[in-house]
Amino acid sequence: MKLEKLNAKEGTDIQYLSKELLFLAQSGQPYRGSVYIAFKSVGETFNMLDFKKYITSLRSQKFLAEDIAFEIYETINSSIKTANLGVVVDLTARGGLQQRVAFGSEFSVIKKENIFQL
Amino acid sequence: MTEKSYQETRSKEVKSLGSGETEYRYTYAPELLETFENVHQENDYWVTLNADEFTSLCPKTNQPDFGTLIINYIPNVNMVESKSLKLYLFSFMNSGEFHEDVVNKIGKDLVKLMEPKYLEVVGLFYPRGNISIHPTFSYANGEKEFEEIKKHRFINRNINPQRVG
Repeated sequence: MKLEKLNAKEGTDIQYLSKELLFLAQSGQPYRGSVYIAFKSVGETFNMLDFKKYITSLRSQKFLAEDIAFEIYETINSSIKTANLGVVVDLTARGGLQQRVAFGSEFSVIKKENIFQL
Repeated sequence: MTEKSYQETRSKEVKSLGSGETEYRYTYAPELLETFENVHQENDYWVTLNADEFTSLCPKTNQPDFGTLIINYIPNVNMVESKSLKLYLFSFMNSGEFHEDVVNKIGKDLVKLMEPKYLEVVGLFYPRGNISIHPTFSYANGEKEFEEIKKHRFINRNINPQRVG
């Protein structure tokens, strides 16, 4: 899916996060997680409505859990130009194991403890 | 009951747990729920089940909703098996339900399944339009002791509201 390109001030550090990532594992089991995205703008960002639609579209798609960060990275990278794009996905535990997968540039994720706080 | 006979009894009671192959359903499927016998009926006790990955759809917009469900109950004879509960809750994934409706629906399904002494379902849904909705379903089986619990918890619900911000 292509995300609509929007103008953003060059040099701005942008982070997006969502605790509402959902996709299907190869077994068909729904996987939940949080996605964190960070990049430095080179004059562009993407339409958030498009991104919401994209994230929602993953609900019915199957991925290997380890590939989900790459999938999101590629969608952003093929839609807009950025510097230092990084994607981190924290998945909820399965069988007592937690997974964090990352693709692209490293960055520190900002976590909000209270999910009911906007 | 010996350990062997205990394991044999338990393994006969539930189908989905340890079945090796799991079929995931994405539309409402209450038939997935299974029970096992409460072998401690001489003693009333609480069971809490936390489901942090609940998701359904808005019936109007089809936008996804997310939330945590907390199920507290005092068992009678039948208890809900947790894997079947997981599969049942996943089955709401493509079902369109308002938050208030889904909490009541799950509560009623679990009452029908288990006939517990007391049961409540709390839904802590993520904010939409800056508002998070937290409905609570509660049920007591008519016995005075459990009706009192229901009344007490109903009256005292959210007496110290969660601080947001």
